[in-house]
Amino acid sequence: MNKLLKKFLAVSFVFVLTFVLIGCGETNGSDDELNDGGSIFHIYAWNTEFQGFFNKYVSDEKANDSSIETYHLDGVPVKWTIVTSDNGAYQNALDMALRENATANEENKVDMFLAEADYILKYVNTSLTKDIEKIGVDDFSQAYQYTVDIGTDRTGVIKAASFQCCPAGMVYRRSIALEVLGVSEPEDVQPLVDSWEKFEDVAEMMQEKGYYMTGSYADTYRVFSNNADKPWVDENKQVQIPTPVQTWMEQAEKFVKEGYTKTEGVWDGGKTIEFAEGGKVFCTFGPAWYYNFCMGPAMGEGDEHVGGTYGDWGLITGPQAYFWGGTWLLCPSAGSNDTLVAKTMNAFLNNEEILERLVKEDSQFSNNKKVNAKVAADYDAEGKGNGLLNGQNDTKVWVEMADNIVVRYSTIYDQHCNEGLQTAFVKFLKNDAEINTKEKALADFYADLLKAFPNLVVPD
Amino acid sequence: MKENKNKKNPSYAKWGYIFVASFFVVYFLFTFIPQVLTIYDSFFDYTDIVGTLETEVSFAGLKNYKMLFSRNIRGDIEILRCLGNTIIIWLIGVIPQMSFGLLIALIFTSSKLRLKGTGFFKTVFYMPNLIMAAAFASLILALFGTIGPFHTLFVEKGWIAQTFDFISDKTWARILIAFMNFLMWFGNTTILLMAGIQGIDNSVFESAKIDGASSVHVLWDITLPLLKPIAVYVFITSMIGGLQMFDVAEVLTGKAKNNSTRTIVMLINDYLKVGNYGHAGAVSVVLFIITAILSLIIFRSINRKGESMS
Repeated sequence: MNKLLKKFLAVSFVFVLTFVLIGCGETNGSDDELNDGGSIFHIYAWNTEFQGFFNKYVSDEKANDSSIETYHLDGVPVKWTIVTSDNGAYQNALDMALRENATANEENKVDMFLAEADYILKYVNTSLTKDIEKIGVDDFSQAYQYTVDIGTDRTGVIKAASFQCCPAGMVYRRSIALEVLGVSEPEDVQPLVDSWEKFEDVAEMMQEKGYYMTGSYADTYRVFSNNADKPWVDENKQVQIPTPVQTWMEQAEKFVKEGYTKTEGVWDGGKTIEFAEGGKVFCTFGPAWYYNFCMGPAMGEGDEHVGGTYGDWGLITGPQAYFWGGTWLLCPSAGSNDTLVAKTMNAFLNNEEILERLVKEDSQFSNNKKVNAKVAADYDAEGKGNGLLNGQNDTKVWVEMADNIVVRYSTIYDQHCNEGLQTAFVKFLKNDAEINTKEKALADFYADLLKAFPNLVVPD
Repeated sequence: MKENKNKKNPSYAKWGYIFVASFFVVYFLFTFIPQVLTIYDSFFDYTDIVGTLETEVSFAGLKNYKMLFSRNIRGDIEILRCLGNTIIIWLIGVIPQMSFGLLIALIFTSSKLRLKGTGFFKTVFYMPNLIMAAAFASLILALFGTIGPFHTLFVEKGWIAQTFDFISDKTWARILIAFMNFLMWFGNTTILLMAGIQGIDNSVFESAKIDGASSVHVLWDITLPLLKPIAVYVFITSMIGGLQMFDVAEVLTGKAKNNSTRTIVMLINDYLKVGNYGHAGAVSVVLFIITAILSLIIFRSINRKGESMS
């Protein structure tokens, strides 16, 4: 028995050692050469939105059809790994894959991945992603500047290309505007809410007539946070709350106290239910993808839009223009299909034929100024527009707004700070027994932030 | 040297070792090694690489442990607070769980009542244990959320304000979690205690009856003491499970970041989510030590009583 035991221990010891040594992987692939020839084009994403567009416009099959089992690009089969972004699962999976990419086998090697503005900085500022100008993506003449800025690292190297531009504004109920303000057309409503002071005045008028101004205390958060005047954390690791966010805190506190809004989150059912027929909410904020795809109760049932508020909405800039969302494409340094990545990026940046269809058929706002302007003009000429917005030519509104979007001061702490501040502050808004003052809410936020980043310095 | 093979008594012992070996291999690879690596990780500082894709970490010694036990900006020591939350929620759940389980077990095994159809009830009581905890918590979240039926009803009756939130409230959230744990586990407790009662030799009860003992006497001096081994088993396993309470609490209160229902494993999860493996490892080690100590204490105290009795 002793011999058997010894052999067993020896084998398992070797086993363990192998596992441990595998962990000590190599560094990344070359940054200057093109890595090509992979047998599978492997793409990571957190949902299937981009996959649909890829299949329809870029793949060899040029169609998004459920009967097609595998799509190809230039003959190379395409594989998607979709991991939900709930609880940070997508980033965890992606980070692990990227760290091991140099030694991964063909099946698992990541060739391209998607990222959102909230956390893209982490992927832009690492050597694990590639300079896309070096793989042949260098024409950003028609792209909106902020999308390029977001994808640029601190040394000026462009690492990411966006296929969307997401300018965002205020959508309001025309019938409620008519009842309370006496006007309902966008050009008449905009002057009444073109500053935050006026916005508050209108909120009071809404409340007097039994309406809520917004459905969520957090509806206006991003309008403020995406117009920040300073980064969340400065070079000395000092945490500082951007001034617009402080304004938001004051506004949210007042709005909840006065009953101008509901204590619901942006995505909560308690807010969206007010978009249905008979709903009491006057306005909300968002880009095209929000009102086209996330306002379910407003759409009602079926083609007749029964029970909804279809056609009763209008789009204006509101108190402040901003952007929300967007999807960027990046290329790992140790990928295996750089040419295909470049082909995909260039298609969504500059292929006017594809992009025109993307805007017209899929209700997107592309990242190409020329195409967007053309579609806006086409819609004007044809009298076409968005059904939810009573036929308004929303593309034209975005074309006017999108050029003015400026994004500065991104940090890797943004996602944590934005989410954390709101989560802590809502406890105060809801009269939590323990977090019952603004200071305690901030302390709660800092405590949570320091769990992830203990080296930051918070204000006293 | 050749082994002596006795053909009349072939040694099957080695087969025993081989069969058991598979367990040890699995344990070694999937439990022991990760435990060792967790302890190893807890001595390194991962905080410089949180939020980045770097992988180089520096040795931190006991820094992580020190940070865990220092007061945070909110004024509490998070790990102790989470431990408190865990134990409180567990107690709120386990006391009814064991009392109710015992009550039903006694009723079902009562020779006086001779209930029919206990098998059916046993199945029904056990069923909540089969529900996925996450699904169950989602259901409760829908029921008690701000547009759920309970909230709407209570607001209408004027019992709560519109801004009240069951999920963020300290007392209600804890009760809801404990209630879910209770529902999921009392069936299991009932069945085990029933088995324990039925395992008591009937002759003991008969002789007690002959001696004229009242049913209370029988319960207190015979049934309960003889039930102690099973009860201890149920209590210890419930405690170990309770200390590791995670899915129910996380699904119900994780998003709202309720500080009064954050359990220890939720705290570990918070650190894991952001990649702070150093702190996560430290909390895991602390939890391991606490679990071991508590189990030992309970085990010893029960056994010591047993020894003094005999």
